[in-house]
Amino acid sequence: MSAAEQVRQYILENFLFSTDTSLLGLDESFLERGLIDSTGMLEVILFLEESFGVKVGDNEMVPENLDSVNRIAAFLERKKV
Amino acid sequence: MAAGPASLVDLLRESARRFPERPAILQRGAAVSYGELWRGVCRAANALRVGGLAPGERVALLIENSPGYVMAYYAVLQAGGVAVGLNTAMRGAELARNVAHCAANALIAMPGHPELPALMAARGTLRQIVTTPATAVSTAAAGRAVPAGAIAWHDWLAAVDESDVSAAVDSCAPASIIYTSGTTGDPRGVTLTHRNLVANTQSILAYLGLRETDRIVNVLPFYYSYGNSVLHTHLAAGASLLLENSLTYPHLVVQSMANERATGFSGVPATFALLLQRVPLADHDLSSLRYLTQAGGAMAPALTRRLRAALPAARLFVMYGQTEATARISYLPPERLDDKLGTVGIGIPGVAIEVQDAQGRRVAAGVEGEVCVRGDNVMLGYWENPAATAKVLRDGWLRTGDLGRLDEEGFLTLVGRSSDMIKTGAHRVSPLEIEEIVLELAGVAECAAVGVADPILGEVVRVCVVAAEGAGLEPRTVQAHCRNRLAVYKVPKEVVFVATLPKTASGKVRRFMLKEAG
Repeated sequence: MSAAEQVRQYILENFLFSTDTSLLGLDESFLERGLIDSTGMLEVILFLEESFGVKVGDNEMVPENLDSVNRIAAFLERKKV
Repeated sequence: MAAGPASLVDLLRESARRFPERPAILQRGAAVSYGELWRGVCRAANALRVGGLAPGERVALLIENSPGYVMAYYAVLQAGGVAVGLNTAMRGAELARNVAHCAANALIAMPGHPELPALMAARGTLRQIVTTPATAVSTAAAGRAVPAGAIAWHDWLAAVDESDVSAAVDSCAPASIIYTSGTTGDPRGVTLTHRNLVANTQSILAYLGLRETDRIVNVLPFYYSYGNSVLHTHLAAGASLLLENSLTYPHLVVQSMANERATGFSGVPATFALLLQRVPLADHDLSSLRYLTQAGGAMAPALTRRLRAALPAARLFVMYGQTEATARISYLPPERLDDKLGTVGIGIPGVAIEVQDAQGRRVAAGVEGEVCVRGDNVMLGYWENPAATAKVLRDGWLRTGDLGRLDEEGFLTLVGRSSDMIKTGAHRVSPLEIEEIVLELAGVAECAAVGVADPILGEVVRVCVVAAEGAGLEPRTVQAHCRNRLAVYKVPKEVVFVATLPKTASGKVRRFMLKEAG
């Protein structure tokens, strides 16, 4: 499974309590959907760190890196390099 | 002024007269000056009147923190109406319930709010529906079209001028309703008068010592009493409010404080816990911070110490309050923070605090009882709910439902709550409201919601469910149902299936036992 799909599945299961992928577009903004609050974001980061072996720095906690499935996937891709 | 201010509008008018060019509200790099704000308020008030708003009628606001919210709120008061700030995190049915309960005559909303169509469909008593300018609200609203049946802010204002037509204000009349945790059958619309709002604003100003040169970075929603008081106090002082609407990226909020040379910051314990945990504060130049305020639930002394150590130059005001008391009840003067750590301080100017027993008799210093409050900050009552009002307003005192004790010097220590209310982050949640929704699910025989400890949020919601035989329920089914029906912060973080609920002989659920289970 691609990183984007893994992330989408995680967000769906933990914030929408569903497995229906039609409920969350890959480019949909979590902020605009009101999907993830401040502590939710900490959970997302923990998931990324545990599942992908990356370390998310405090300075990297910005919407550009984390505010949609595709943004997270691109961020993970950059972290690999 | 010969007479004192009759309403918040008088305080804003005075700030606009003294500081017309100073920025009142800043958001995303744009500033609205006091002069602009005041002209917008007058104009919107005139539009409300032309649209048929009569004194005392309710106007619901469904707007995130923004210049549009502030203009709309003050315009409602200026027009003699009653402002009802709706919680923008709520879902359509929750919002419709509050709008119907107060029989709102007008709605001013941000155009992109996802629940706006549902609310408009349930139109009810709404005669005017107006949407605020998209660009001034949030990114969520940017570029969204005005829905059919609503009128856009600029079109709405086009037909009226900016003349200051002040209604004669009865300071004892309702000015605002704030819905706190309630249920369908027991709504809690805290009704505040003009006098409540003015008195509390002036008391807070007296001890915080705000000036026109102050600049606060605000993350608290204005639709709650704490944010509401931060807004009114700063506007009355002629200070600037820099709006940051999300703590999802705490690092950005701190960056904003540093870049804008903020002099103040207000938060609930969860706000400070999050900042201290996620942001290396020492890496940012926060030397401009002059005051920090904390309310919205008791903060652990250890967290208070960490906050002071991280920001030693800022004066930290630990405070206590309740929506039913407009916002603020007590504050701990910063110079007493060390020797009175763990208390929530003394009554704010004009407010008396007493600890009483169940019969309403004052108890001696050091003895625990219910915290009771008297002063111009105490609400008129719960809107259209005399039974609930009678329970908390007795013999001129507001019974807060909080348990505490006073020391010989009048410093209050809170020891717990007599109610089952769950406090999660900045929110109050009624367990009954969650239970009402969970019970809608087929296969749920019984359930009980409780708050369980959480390191950041203070408490999170746990629901214990007794499933009917063969129901095949999963935690996720329960959570998904709640997610569809309730604001995100009310959705249970934990769903625990139990065989039975522990009960007293009279059949009442022993909630405290469920806090320990799991």
